[in-house]
Amino acid sequence: MRQALEGSLAVAKAVALCRPGVVAAYPITPQTHIVENISKLVADGDLETELVSVESEFSAASVVLGAAAAGSRAYTASSSQGIMLMAEVLFNIAGLRVPMVLTCANRAIGAPLNIWNDQSDSMAMRDSGWIQLYCADNQEAVDSLIQAYRISERTELPVMVCMDGFILTHTLEVIDIPEQDKVDRYLPPFAFDRRLDPSDPISLGALVTPEFFSEVKHSQHAAMQKALPDIVDADKEFKKLFGRDCGGLLAEHGDEEATVAILTLGSIYGTLRAGMEAHKSRKKVKLIHLRCFRPFPEEVLMAALDGVKDLIVVERALSPGLGGIVGTEIRAVLSTARKPPRVHNVAIGLGGRDVPLDMFSRLLEALKNGSIAEFSVFDADLSRLPEEDR
Amino acid sequence: MAAITRGAYARPGTSLAFKTGTWRVEIPYHKHWAAPCHAACPAGEDQQAWLAKIQEGKLHEAWNELVTANPMPAITGRVCPHPCEQACNRGIYDAPIAIHNIERFLGDEAIRLGWNYPLLRPTTPESPAVAVVGAGPSGLSAAYHLVRRGFRVNLFDALPEAGGLLRSAIPMTRLPREVLDSEIQRIFSLDGLRFHPRHRLGRDVSLSELQSDHAAVFMGPGAERSKAWDVDGAVPADLHQGLHLIKEWVDHGEIPTPKSVAIHGGGNTAVDLARIMKRRGVEEVYVITASGLPGPGTAPDDVLNVVPRELEEALEEGVVFFPHRTIQRLIMRGSKMIGVEMVHLKKLPGKGGRKSRVSFQGTERVLNVDMVIPSIGEAVDSAGFENLIGNANYFRPDDWGRLAEHPGVFVGGDARGDRGTVSAAIGDGCKAAMAIQAHVEQTEVIDAPRETVGYESLNVNYFEPKPRAYVAKIPVPERDDFTEIEQDMIYAQVVEEAGRCMSCGNCLACDNCWTFCPDNAVIKTRDVCSDGSHYLFDYEFCKGCGLCATECPCGFILMRPQD
Repeated sequence: MRQALEGSLAVAKAVALCRPGVVAAYPITPQTHIVENISKLVADGDLETELVSVESEFSAASVVLGAAAAGSRAYTASSSQGIMLMAEVLFNIAGLRVPMVLTCANRAIGAPLNIWNDQSDSMAMRDSGWIQLYCADNQEAVDSLIQAYRISERTELPVMVCMDGFILTHTLEVIDIPEQDKVDRYLPPFAFDRRLDPSDPISLGALVTPEFFSEVKHSQHAAMQKALPDIVDADKEFKKLFGRDCGGLLAEHGDEEATVAILTLGSIYGTLRAGMEAHKSRKKVKLIHLRCFRPFPEEVLMAALDGVKDLIVVERALSPGLGGIVGTEIRAVLSTARKPPRVHNVAIGLGGRDVPLDMFSRLLEALKNGSIAEFSVFDADLSRLPEEDR
Repeated sequence: MAAITRGAYARPGTSLAFKTGTWRVEIPYHKHWAAPCHAACPAGEDQQAWLAKIQEGKLHEAWNELVTANPMPAITGRVCPHPCEQACNRGIYDAPIAIHNIERFLGDEAIRLGWNYPLLRPTTPESPAVAVVGAGPSGLSAAYHLVRRGFRVNLFDALPEAGGLLRSAIPMTRLPREVLDSEIQRIFSLDGLRFHPRHRLGRDVSLSELQSDHAAVFMGPGAERSKAWDVDGAVPADLHQGLHLIKEWVDHGEIPTPKSVAIHGGGNTAVDLARIMKRRGVEEVYVITASGLPGPGTAPDDVLNVVPRELEEALEEGVVFFPHRTIQRLIMRGSKMIGVEMVHLKKLPGKGGRKSRVSFQGTERVLNVDMVIPSIGEAVDSAGFENLIGNANYFRPDDWGRLAEHPGVFVGGDARGDRGTVSAAIGDGCKAAMAIQAHVEQTEVIDAPRETVGYESLNVNYFEPKPRAYVAKIPVPERDDFTEIEQDMIYAQVVEEAGRCMSCGNCLACDNCWTFCPDNAVIKTRDVCSDGSHYLFDYEFCKGCGLCATECPCGFILMRPQD
């Protein structure tokens, strides 16, 4: 049924459809509405789950880790500094191979303190061992969340569903909320093989000595790579039941013969699509939405870039002292390509800086006149900085 | 190699595959040290061992442990100067354990409940026989330790009753005679021991007879002959020796009562005599001694050689001490004594690093007294065994009591001249019994003393400060010739006080090592292990972190480099 819903409420409804056994979260802008709405669903009797009020994100993550380890389908959500506080537990969840789903309502990490959207929080968890899916719009946020449980429970890897804070979480959109019976078919009850069970005790999180650690890490890496077809499969199966998909590992829009591509993650994809429609250009351009950032979909990306001469990687985070994060990774992947495109890397929309529709034209213009650098914070007005800080 | 699970979860027992013992560069081990009390005990008691039994509530076992060294705890608990308490590590922490009071309690319990000695070996008519001469502390101890080892013993004494100096020279206020009788009676009821009273060596039986009839002879004749005493060749006409006066008093209740008296000497006899005379109404009783009184400025080896409690009580009762002094001149009016001239002694370096005491001219002082009593020590009365000792004042055997010139003859107690306490005599009896057994069985006597554990080896954080038990004494005005001055401890006090023992150098069974071990490499056993503790190290898993050694309160766990 199609409804006009705020992104957070839609995600809350999607969570409810997945029938989680335990939800634990601590409020933080812009994630707050998700948990508030779940809480409301529970209070209204529309969702039966163990909703645990905790005193910090560290506890929230620890509660869902315990719940999932005990065999429960568990959910949590956070943002920014909350993700930072969860960090230790997030690494543990992944390393212990405990399946669960977390929504990251993307927000800048301080300092300076900032509550608005960019993706520096989820990017900081890049190496935590979580699968990361980025959502271009709220329908994807709903659909990816449901898919995330399927992926997580099949791969025994945790999945972080990233949706841009405010831009998605606080925005009304017409959303098709899936039917419960179909979701139930798509997502059978969770049965975790390695659940903690007093009648068959195992020890989770024991010390692993140097003689075993390397193998454990290898197996975690291999599991992430093997998860790629599961992610594609989850999206395909979803389409069979619900009639729509999220593009699998990445989505493309524009000219198939494009020589210029703009790659991005999250809601900028929609902004750039609108910008592209308004833009009149003789250049053949396409947009790529990198939905799955971890595991990194190397093969699919290489295929998508076949024939592309210039690639502009647009991202909402950066690695100070290096440049872009996604851009740098793509350069690394392309180093083995036969005819790699030139990669131009920009960070835009940091800390909630508005990304206007004409950003598409500005990027192409910069490419055309050669003013686009190897990396830049593209929308920064350096004249506002003292000379020595530029 | 264990298969690696997804997420590295572990099945029960998986950690057993991780042999953390391979990480070890240091290895813990148990070391049963000698506690300082044990090392200091002249009788060889292991006080820590029997205090531990009391901590477990096993009084009888505690006594059994005690009498493996000392068969007369009810006596030593009363008369011993208890060097164990001076050595006690707890003295550095707060106050030493009241070991002698507990020993006395155990001894009295044994008398009250009729406990019997645990023996090592039964005696049969075929067992070798040993003659023991002198039924004083060393002879009684030797007889007991010999019977305990399966020997038959013929015990000879010149007097009609056993006890030696315990009976003849120790005041009843320190040692009630019923206690003495009970302890002796228990020894005499041992199978294999025969007591022959009124047998004086050389008069009723000869040494050669004893030697031909026995596998060995133990000599415990004591030191009965008072040393010759004079001041520049002068002696008062009515000179009485201190030891003689005490014997007279013990036997007949008589003691001279001059108006004032100077006792010359610094041993228990001098102090005992001073107190007896004071109680009998002698107004001024002075003890003139070359030794010092205990105090911050006095070196331990310079202190008066008396039971500390006795000195304390003597001072309470009004005896006046003149330490570091000697008598330089007797002042006579005709044959009547009217005073002595004292002079300070100072120590000067002498030959061979020793210090010699010399008079400090110009410090003379006259003390007006009616009587002077020498109590400067006694020598061996060698009648009947002159060929063993010659002209010497004392025997000079080795530590086991063996006389180099006379194989098969062993000596202990005051006759050695280098002992001087009841406990040392008891220790001599035990050592001699071991040496006699080795002599008879033609083996080597084995002495394996343990190293003594110091206070710095303990982890005293695990002990709570707790005051020493209070033991009452009869107030000075109520003291008489017979009533024991120091009172009993009650059972609750004994258990409480034994609980203060820090178990220096031995396992306290506190579970610290077992609790702290991060690798479960300390295994706790229901029964005791071969080393006497309840804990075994599992060296497959012990990674040598040393937590157990650090947290052991008793210094029982040590670390050494892994080979």
